[in-house]
Amino acid sequence: MSTSVLFEIKKLSKIYPQGVSALRNVSFEIQAGEFLVIIGLSGSGKSTLLRCLNRMHAPTQGEIFFQDQEISQLKGEQVRGLQKKMAVIFQHFNLIPRHSVLSNVLMGKLGRMGTLQSLFGLFSDEDRRQALEHLKLVGLSEKANVRADQLSGGQQQRVAIARALMQKPEVLLADEPVASLDPATSYRVMEYLKRINQEMGITVVANLHFLSLVREYATRVIALRDGEIAFNGNPQEIDAEMFEKIYGEGAREVQIR
Amino acid sequence: MKKRLVLDSVFFAYVLIAILYFLFDPREEVQKLALLSRWDLGLLILATSLSLSWSLVFFKQGSLGALVFDQNFRSRESQQKFWLWQIWIFFLLTLWFSLQATQFSWVELFDKEGFKGAVRLFQGLSHPNFALLPRAVLNMIETIFMAFVATILALPVAFLLAFPCAKNIMSSSSGFVFYFLLRMFFNIVRSVEALIWAIIFSVWVGIGPFAGMLALMAHSIASLTKQFSEIVESVDEGPLEAIASTGANRTQVIWYGIVPQVLLPFISFSIYRWDINVRMATVIGLVGGGGIGTLLIQYQGQAMWPEVGCIVFVIAIVVWLMDTASAYLREALK
Repeated sequence: MSTSVLFEIKKLSKIYPQGVSALRNVSFEIQAGEFLVIIGLSGSGKSTLLRCLNRMHAPTQGEIFFQDQEISQLKGEQVRGLQKKMAVIFQHFNLIPRHSVLSNVLMGKLGRMGTLQSLFGLFSDEDRRQALEHLKLVGLSEKANVRADQLSGGQQQRVAIARALMQKPEVLLADEPVASLDPATSYRVMEYLKRINQEMGITVVANLHFLSLVREYATRVIALRDGEIAFNGNPQEIDAEMFEKIYGEGAREVQIR
Repeated sequence: MKKRLVLDSVFFAYVLIAILYFLFDPREEVQKLALLSRWDLGLLILATSLSLSWSLVFFKQGSLGALVFDQNFRSRESQQKFWLWQIWIFFLLTLWFSLQATQFSWVELFDKEGFKGAVRLFQGLSHPNFALLPRAVLNMIETIFMAFVATILALPVAFLLAFPCAKNIMSSSSGFVFYFLLRMFFNIVRSVEALIWAIIFSVWVGIGPFAGMLALMAHSIASLTKQFSEIVESVDEGPLEAIASTGANRTQVIWYGIVPQVLLPFISFSIYRWDINVRMATVIGLVGGGGIGTLLIQYQGQAMWPEVGCIVFVIAIVVWLMDTASAYLREALK
C-alpha cells in the first residue's frame, strides 16, 4: 500500500468550557492504512484527541486536515458529512440494548438514509445483506436476531465493529475498545481490528491502556502526557526509560496474558 | 456572615412575634390585622432580632445560621450547641401556630351531638343500599371511560412534547429558550389542580363528562410531559453518541438512540396515569365533571348515607382493582 497522508494535525489545542486544557499544541500525521495507537494516563487527552478527529468535539485552536480538507471549523451538516466517513467504537460498546443485533448493525447506515425512511426502519435488502455479511465477518451470524443486551461484552464490541463497517469508513476510531473486557476477549477483539486494518485497508486509530497489546498490534504509537505528545514512533522503541517519561516516575508496566 | 445574620434574625423575629401573639392573644381577625399594620412594632422586632443575632456572633455562639452558611463552622470544636435549641424552638412554635390556625379543639372532636352525627353517617355508609348498584356501576363505567379517553388523548401530545422539554436534547442556546418557556407553561398548567380545570371547562363546554374529560386531559398532558421529559433526561448518553457518530441527524439520534430507551418507562407511567385519572375523575365529578362523582354529590347533598355507602363501595372496589392491575402490569413491563 502506498503511503499517503490521511490526517494532518497542526498545533491542535482543546480547552473545555470549565477551563481544563485537554490538548496543547499537538501536531502529527496519520498515514492511510496505519494502525495507530494512542497511549497515556487517564485524563492525558486521548479521548479528546479522538473526538476532535471526527469532530464530535470542536477544537479550540489549530487545524486538522482530513484527505487534504480542513475540518476543524466545519459546522452542522458538514460535520455529519464528515462523520459518515469515520466510524467509532466505544469502551462501553454503546449498542441500543432493546434492539436486535441486526438492527444495531443496520444503524451504521443511518447517516446515509433519508430521515423519513429511517423513521420507518426501511432499510434496503442490500443493506440487510451487507449487515449479515459484516456479522459473519465478526463471527456472530447466528446472533443476528438476538437482543443486543443478551450478548457478552466481547460479543457486543464485535457487533459495534460490524456496525462501524456498515459505514464503509475510511478510518475506524476506537476509544479504549477493550478497556472493559477481560484479557482473552480483548485479544479476540483486537484480532478483528487487525483484520479490518490489514484485509480491508481501513486505517485504525485506537486508544489503548495495555502496552502488551500496543506492542503486538500497533504499527505506530503516539503517547500523550498532560495533553502534549511525549512520544511518537515505533512501539518497540518504548523502553523502561520512555515508559517512565510517559506514565510518570514509579509507574510499572502491567502484563496481561 | 451576612447570610448567617439574616437567618438568625428571622429566627428571633419569629420568636418575638410568637411572644407578642401570646401576650395580646388576638382572637378576632380584626385584631390580627391591626397588629400587622403596626409598623413601629415591626421595626422594634427587626432591631431586636438583629441585635440578638449579632450578640450571638459576639459571644461566639454556634447558631443555626452559622451551621448552614459558615463553611468553617463544623470543623471548629468549641462551638456551643445553640443551633440545636433553635431547631427545637422553631419546630415547637410552628406546631403551636398550626394548631391555632386549624382551630384544633378536643372539645369539638368529642362533642356528644357531633359524635352522634358521625355515628349516624357511618351506620348509613356501612349499610349500603344496593338498590342503587346498577346506576352506580353505570356511572362508574362512564368515569373509567372518561379517565381512559383523557389518558389516551394526552399520550401522543405528551410523547411529542417530552423531547423539547428535556434539557439534554435542548442543549443549544436557542433551544434552551424554547425549553424554558415550554417548561414554565407546563408548570403553570400543572400547578392548577384538575378540580379547577373541571370548573373552567364546565363553564366552557357545559357541565358533564366532556368537561371532566377535558380537565383530566389538560392535567394529564402537563404531568405526563414532565414525567416523560425526566425519563428522557436520564437516558444513557453512550448510545446517543454512537448513533450521532455515524453521521445521523438529530431526528435519527432521538428515534434510534432515545426512544428505545424510554419506551417501556413511558408505557409504565401511562398506565399509572390512567389509574390516577380514574381516582381523580371521581373527585372531578363532584364539581360537575360527570360520572360517579356527580352521582355521589347528589346523594351526599340529601344526606342519603346508605345510597352514598353503595357508591363509595363501588368506587373502592374499582380503585382497588385498578391499583392492583396497574401495579401488576407495571411490574410485568420492567
